[in-house]
Amino acid sequence: MHPISQPVVKKDHTEKMAGSAEYVGDFYSTDMLHARFVRSPHPHARILEICYPELPEGYCSVDHRDVLGENIVHVVEDDSPVFEVDEVFYVGDPVAMIIGPDPQRVKALAAATEVRYEVLSAILDIDDSDTVFFDYHYGRGDCEDAFSEADKVYEEQFSTGYQEQAYLETQGMSARYEDGLLTVHGSLQCPYYVHGAIAKATGLPKGSVRVIQDYTGGGFGGKEAYPSFLAAQLGVAAMKVPGKDVRVVYDRREDMEFTSKRHPSRCTYRAAVKDGRVTALEIDVRFNSGAFTTLSPVVLQRGIIAAPGVYHVPSLKVRGRGLRTHTVPTGAYRGFGAPQTFFAIERLMDHIAADLGQDPLDFKLAHAAKKGDPTSTSGIYHYEVPLPEMVDKVCEMSDYRAKRAAYAKEQGRRYRNGIGIALWFHGCGFTGSGERDFIKAVVGLHKHADGTVEVLACNSDIGQGIKTTFSKVVAAELGIPYDQVSYGNPDTSRVPDSGPTVASRSLMTVGELLRRAAARLREEWVDGQEQSVEEHYHEPDFMLPFSLEDFSGDAYPTYAWGVSAIELRYDSLTGANDIVGCWSSFDVGTPIDLAIVTGQMEGGVLQGLGYSSMEQMATDANGRIRNNSYSDYIIPTSADVGELAVSMHVVEFPFGPYGAKGAGELPLVGIAPAFVEAAEQALGARGINHIPLKAEEALEYLGAAQKEAHR
Amino acid sequence: MVDRYAPTSLAAALDLMAHEELVPYAGGTDLMVDEALGRPFVFLHGIEELKGITDNEDSFIVGAGVTYRELLAHPATPELLKEAVAQIAAPAIRNTATLAGNIANASPKGDGALVCFAADAEIVLRSAETARRVPIASFYEGRGKTVRRPDELVTAVIIPKKHLAGYRFEKVGARKALAISRVSFVGLMTIEESVVAHLALAFGAVEDVVARRPAIDAMLIGKTIEAARGAAEEYLAAWDEAIQPIRGRVSAEYRKQVCLNLARDFITCRLG
Amino acid sequence: MSKTQGSSHDGATAAVMSAANEAVTTATLPTTAAPSVRAVSVSFVLNGREVTWEGDPSAKLLDVLRDDLRLTGVKCGCREGECGACSILLDGVLVNSCMVAAGRVGGTEVTTIEGYCTTERFKVLDATFARRSAVQCGYCIPGMVLAAEALLSANPHPTEEEVRTGISGNLCRCTGYNAIVDAILDASKEGEGLW
Repeated sequence: MHPISQPVVKKDHTEKMAGSAEYVGDFYSTDMLHARFVRSPHPHARILEICYPELPEGYCSVDHRDVLGENIVHVVEDDSPVFEVDEVFYVGDPVAMIIGPDPQRVKALAAATEVRYEVLSAILDIDDSDTVFFDYHYGRGDCEDAFSEADKVYEEQFSTGYQEQAYLETQGMSARYEDGLLTVHGSLQCPYYVHGAIAKATGLPKGSVRVIQDYTGGGFGGKEAYPSFLAAQLGVAAMKVPGKDVRVVYDRREDMEFTSKRHPSRCTYRAAVKDGRVTALEIDVRFNSGAFTTLSPVVLQRGIIAAPGVYHVPSLKVRGRGLRTHTVPTGAYRGFGAPQTFFAIERLMDHIAADLGQDPLDFKLAHAAKKGDPTSTSGIYHYEVPLPEMVDKVCEMSDYRAKRAAYAKEQGRRYRNGIGIALWFHGCGFTGSGERDFIKAVVGLHKHADGTVEVLACNSDIGQGIKTTFSKVVAAELGIPYDQVSYGNPDTSRVPDSGPTVASRSLMTVGELLRRAAARLREEWVDGQEQSVEEHYHEPDFMLPFSLEDFSGDAYPTYAWGVSAIELRYDSLTGANDIVGCWSSFDVGTPIDLAIVTGQMEGGVLQGLGYSSMEQMATDANGRIRNNSYSDYIIPTSADVGELAVSMHVVEFPFGPYGAKGAGELPLVGIAPAFVEAAEQALGARGINHIPLKAEEALEYLGAAQKEAHR
Repeated sequence: MVDRYAPTSLAAALDLMAHEELVPYAGGTDLMVDEALGRPFVFLHGIEELKGITDNEDSFIVGAGVTYRELLAHPATPELLKEAVAQIAAPAIRNTATLAGNIANASPKGDGALVCFAADAEIVLRSAETARRVPIASFYEGRGKTVRRPDELVTAVIIPKKHLAGYRFEKVGARKALAISRVSFVGLMTIEESVVAHLALAFGAVEDVVARRPAIDAMLIGKTIEAARGAAEEYLAAWDEAIQPIRGRVSAEYRKQVCLNLARDFITCRLG
Repeated sequence: MSKTQGSSHDGATAAVMSAANEAVTTATLPTTAAPSVRAVSVSFVLNGREVTWEGDPSAKLLDVLRDDLRLTGVKCGCREGECGACSILLDGVLVNSCMVAAGRVGGTEVTTIEGYCTTERFKVLDATFARRSAVQCGYCIPGMVLAAEALLSANPHPTEEEVRTGISGNLCRCTGYNAIVDAILDASKEGEGLW
């Protein structure tokens, strides 16, 4: 292992441990005003009139009439308003806000605000959707030929549910307008996204907007786009009450019902098989975008690029659609569209293998892409694809092959075991040429006269340890002690735009910029002198240019790889399961800190396990999220997994700092298909093509299998 | 002022309750789930008389102030009760929650109440003027409703020990900790000289009140093992008929199926 | 209506508390108080210092600690006893402060992370959590540390399973728990004699 992988004490350890790190809800000021939203109770309705109650002194309302800039929250497109004007599009759509000093009273006044609506018909299911936000197509080879020549054709449908980020700290933001400057701080992943959104909504010049990231209690994608909404709304409010802090901290229910979560999906896959090989795939991917586009285009792009999985299939025809419904807008969540399609392709491969009487793992390995093979978008896997070695490692850790064989035989009277395995990748960094064309990241290093060096970037530490890993990279490149490098919470008035904290890009892309900056600073280093260096992004020149028009070229510079085996034990009386173990091998390039990376991998795996089964999120007749509390949206506790083991495999990426690739999203992506494969074996079922897999469904499968056995 | 709401003797508490409608606060873990601001609590934690655990030859008596944590730590706590309590919520809740509070709140999902139903426990109710013992089956009038009068306090729970030995406890939750029961089950069966001497099944989280049907259990009581085996299908059919599950996050059909599966498995294992 | 008086001799602390308290007085009382409810005065020992708080006895201790006494190391994650972020020690026992009414704490000793972080035991946990990189977003950590303290004080040599049970009411969405469990197991060894 590279020396830089040696763990260190994290930069933010002490203050988080002692409880002195200030999250947005922890700030205190004597003149704080609290905000509460007035939201639509209807999934779709026309706003006829807003009637505010009489507001006591010190209290005021905020709505679209107060938006001084454009009534738009810029995400990728510009369809989301700051406050709705004459129509609402989902239950929870913000119409207005009440602000004032007493939070209880603010809440009561918001509840007393009467909005008269004319209810309109609502579309809650993507099957009924008449609005296609995005419709992408790509392919290669000749699918028609392949299907007509096939020995056998398989067609299956897959569906996945919502997943809620369930970060421990809910969304929160605070804004203050004073002396022409609007300062916003809060729980967020992307300071400059927020900065841009506020400037647009308030009409303030960019120099009059300052965004500071507070300590952030988890994000997982949920604080990528949503904070732009809160910040725009609070920015508008703050300008109405100059000189006062206006803050909103969501309660858990509000957070779970009205903030973005993972897109539910429905996919149809058709496979042509000839001589025991999959020769073509026709894939139709549909994501429920909810009421607004927000991040759907980019989530969908990643989803469909990953749709054929790790396999080299000669002919492909892929379509992906993001569909509008009158439900809460969906958005970014760790994995960003890929968990949905990896679920589908892995299940399909398992089923084809079973039908052909082949071992599913061998079948998958036989189809896995290798270095030099084309990617789904006719780019190239430029670097080693280490799946065979990683599979060997996972088999050794889990005893997969022996267990798979044993559980295929007679099982115990009450408990039934099963084991499954899945293979996947995660494309590192932004899809396509986003870095080059849109982000254009800039970083800086500032060396003080005393020889300490400050990192100037805007990537936020949301728990993933970026403060620590950035500092390690810079210290290593400069050859100075780690303690001599610092990286505080980003403040847009002090740091350049190094891009958002998303897409597993921060360390690989921004970290490399910092390494290069440090290399320059080392050369220019003069003792006792204050010095600054700046570095700009350049796309690595080995890449085949990516075209979003026809989805061709290198969608990603490189890939992180994952293999997990999961063993389950089902109770045939209750349908409940024990997760006996989950054993994984991950390649994220060089771990810049082995303890941090291991923690990321373990945490991501556990979220994937939750996604597979216990994390159920249903909607009511109005499309409103019903599972809106921690007692109703069930995430794993410390007692829920028997053994959770992770092993790191390292294929260095020459364009990442010290060989590092993207890491954060990878571990979640392929857990669900491994889980369901294990469930299928344990339950004696085939064709379980949906998640979350509920206990009551498991019991039905068990009942069906038992009836089958009696026959 | 604090004394008024945090009495230090049972007499003082009952006196308060005789004059004002107050909400008894023992562990608080059910009450505080809701935003409770403004509720007129009377805090019971300072009352020594409610903190006792008494282990008699034929009964185990739990004072209303005894927490789950204390029950788990007590050497005489019946194993069945320990096993059920150990799976309730998580340590921080068990540290303050009480058995009496769990019962008095009349949630259908309380696993402490489930054990008490299976064991035919009695609830002791006291007011400034009166004292009475109510069989737990008569204590409930429906979901969230009990026979406790506003001036009364549940002071103790009396659990008969006679039939607790051959128990089975099962809890089906959505995860391994911090889980609210979707179905919970207690089965008690005693076989003496090849005859079913005692049988009691109880199902939690299935109906508005714990499901306990002595009349159904009576179908097998007094029968030889062999005769009971022969009547087992009829017995299970009677339960199938009797259970009317509530629906919630899991379906009524699922709840019922699990109840019947657990009942069948228990009966089959015991009768061989 | 609600005033805080530090009966300790620490004037600075008392001043901070009453200043903080005046600002949030209206926030801690309901807009429509039930007729039988009135403010009571509750005295307890908070992180080793005697404090007196006045207000509605049904207020959540979580709010009293965070809003009135400005102990923001006590985190709010759900307000319904389902996440453990607001865990504190009440007479040495782990409780969720959102599940405790203010009227319940009269005469007790309350320890929050702000008090606990000055102890020798904390230093051991601090070191082992650091070495295992057990702290990610940090939001669950104050509660998690107090859950570890509660566990180790009752059981100085827990098994892994006992550790997992001990922290099972403290949700962490970041770590997958392994690092936290290992850090607590390490602390039980390295803190030999402290618990």
